[in-house]
Amino acid sequence: MNTKFALLLAGTALSLSLGVAAPAFAQSITIAIGSEPSTLDPHLRDDGGERQVNDNIYETLMARTPDAELVPGLAAAEPTQVDETTWEIKLREGITFHNGEPFNADSVVASVERMIDPATNSEQMAYFGTIAGAEKVDDYTVHILTTGPDPILPSRMYWLKMIPPVYAQEGDLAAAPVGTGPYKFVSWNRGDTIALEANEDYWDGAPQIDDVTYRFVGEAGTRLSGLMAGEFDIITNLLPEFTTAVPKFAAVEGLETSVFVLGIDNELTSDPLVREALNLAIDREAMVESLFAGYATIAQGHHINPRAFGFNDSLESYAYDPERARQLIEEAGATGKTLQVIGESGRWLKDREQIETVAGYWSQTGLAVDVQIQEFSQYLDSLMGDGPRPDSIFIANSNELLDADREGSYIYHMDGAASSNSDAEMAALIDEARETTDVEARQALYDEVFQHAHDLNYTVPLFNLQDIYGMSTRMEWQPRTDAKMLIKEMTVSE
Amino acid sequence: MGSFIVRRLWHGLLVVFGVSLTVFVVTRLFGDPVSLMLPLSASAEQRLAFAQQIGLDQPLFVQFLRFLGDLATFDFGQSLWQRRPAIEVVFERLPMTLMLIGAGLGTAIVLSIPLGMIAALRPGGLVDRIIVSTGLLGLSMPQFWVGLLLIMVFAVQLRLLPTSGMGTPMHLILPAVTLALTPLARLTMLVRSSMIDELNQQYVRTVKAKGLPFSHILRVHTLRNILISFLTLTGWELISTLAGYTVVVETVFAWPGLGLTAVQAIQRGDLFLMQAIVFVIALLIVLINIVLDIIFKMIDPRIDLN
Repeated sequence: MNTKFALLLAGTALSLSLGVAAPAFAQSITIAIGSEPSTLDPHLRDDGGERQVNDNIYETLMARTPDAELVPGLAAAEPTQVDETTWEIKLREGITFHNGEPFNADSVVASVERMIDPATNSEQMAYFGTIAGAEKVDDYTVHILTTGPDPILPSRMYWLKMIPPVYAQEGDLAAAPVGTGPYKFVSWNRGDTIALEANEDYWDGAPQIDDVTYRFVGEAGTRLSGLMAGEFDIITNLLPEFTTAVPKFAAVEGLETSVFVLGIDNELTSDPLVREALNLAIDREAMVESLFAGYATIAQGHHINPRAFGFNDSLESYAYDPERARQLIEEAGATGKTLQVIGESGRWLKDREQIETVAGYWSQTGLAVDVQIQEFSQYLDSLMGDGPRPDSIFIANSNELLDADREGSYIYHMDGAASSNSDAEMAALIDEARETTDVEARQALYDEVFQHAHDLNYTVPLFNLQDIYGMSTRMEWQPRTDAKMLIKEMTVSE
Repeated sequence: MGSFIVRRLWHGLLVVFGVSLTVFVVTRLFGDPVSLMLPLSASAEQRLAFAQQIGLDQPLFVQFLRFLGDLATFDFGQSLWQRRPAIEVVFERLPMTLMLIGAGLGTAIVLSIPLGMIAALRPGGLVDRIIVSTGLLGLSMPQFWVGLLLIMVFAVQLRLLPTSGMGTPMHLILPAVTLALTPLARLTMLVRSSMIDELNQQYVRTVKAKGLPFSHILRVHTLRNILISFLTLTGWELISTLAGYTVVVETVFAWPGLGLTAVQAIQRGDLFLMQAIVFVIALLIVLINIVLDIIFKMIDPRIDLN
């Protein structure tokens, strides 16, 4: 490890002083991620650090292309429906886990059962709540059973990692993971590094990069320094303002969309004129430039991730019309009234800056704005607690399964945990979409829901945030919408 | 001496218990680990099921009784974040922090005595003024800033040392220097001012008049006299480092010690890990104080420990 590190450092220093590409020793890269995996068991936690490593070791039945299209992974074809609550999935044959165990229907059944077992107490159950079980049909065919009709099941299968059943019983998944993926686990030096090596027998062809070392660096400034010093090849969560400082970077539209949810039943924000004014008052284009250096996309009139199923393509982003906004507030007789703005700080990219800038625009409409930046658990209570709904509350919602049901049932649906409306008609449409398995009918339902919410200004959608990665000059990689850092998609130019 | 140690240990246990109790109450009053741990989209039923699994659905006094029972057996429960025994995490990370403190504070102690003495020899002289103003500079620069500055200069520009992490002695240098700066400045100032006081005492003039060599006077007489105040401040620096400075320095340098782990545990609402960390740190601080008292007694037998 020491010599490798010294070599890397020496090599980078040499290449920089001579102005040539680094010498070609075994292709190994170092990636700095923001947090150390809490465990390497892929089923227990909802942990970004764990996923960043395990996404290369484990695979799922369904996968996504870099621009987020759902395609078969370990499955041989798209899942098909047997009846309302049963999906049939055919599996690829001839795949083995890194320890030699075969991948087959038994592995799928064991993986599903382990995930939904209450004893596992998985934090990921938020993604798998509708799954009732799995049955083996033959060696390479399984049935996944759901508690009700579930059109999102194929997307859920993109989240559920397949584990080797025998090793899961006898081995230590938490410390030494074993999957079917393109990289094999080598070592975990707690607190410092995790090392992976290429799986030469990978079913989809051996990957180009031989060795990967993960380092855990929480401080954005320290990650940046490590990149500048040539220690890292990729760093995550590069701040937009640093894009000009790094040797190379890549940005991609990510999973998070920021929005203010308005309290539709609150005294002030129950007036549609006021809500319309709130949307018209914001110069979103200026914010993209000033806060994100251009690396954010303006949300199109609703806050669904643009790559997610259910996104309404016909909607347009709200215009910036401060004059009209002021008029509307006056017309509503709301001038001088106090608008409550609740948010948090430090959880999402530029959250506090977004909240304060928007509050600034709002105060120009003639409203008195009361901004409250809350400590995170207090904020969660404001967002999802039983108390009165805030006039407006900020959230950057992440859509991991890339399906509109996420925002639909969480924010738009009147019973959703973060919902601030009581629109029963809209809720009925969302419920229907939840259980409609016909793709076109389902899209039509969502189109209707989001058009309705857009016209009534139920929310103030802001931006689809971009993920920015800093890279060393030798790295070739196009980051993915789903934020997975798949090493097999990276190459090193020497 | 024996009865003193027993009494202090007993007293220390009460302190540790009080601290643990405070942490128990504070962590449960603020922050809900369930909503911090689960994805935002988790349903109410899933939240409840998770709370039941970790025992947070119980009334507070039931939780407290369980906490006391576990404390007696040194069991702090499972870390919610790492899903393994909390105390295991603490003992895994503690050595890293102790190594960092050893290197940082050790440097500060070793350098502060000669620097302070040199400055005291000619108060107001050029050397003294350089040492004093550098010391003031060291005291007034925040540690995270010093850390980032050192990284920029020695790792990014000169590429002499790694920016962060651990694994080789080279990795230890920058965090240890950052950690050493504040205690070094304060200890040097103390040595300087106490030395100036001592050197102006009558007895120094007397032994000088007796013809004893100056180096002998420094070593045998004055140094011994300032030792108590030096050790008091060192103990205080040790405690501040253990319970404070390391948090900042470890975060900046991604040094996987207990300070960084504490920050992460707080961010993730990991009650059980927080309790374990605070308990162990409190215990260490109590032990440091007892050891210091014993050393004082050994240095100066006039000190009455009762």
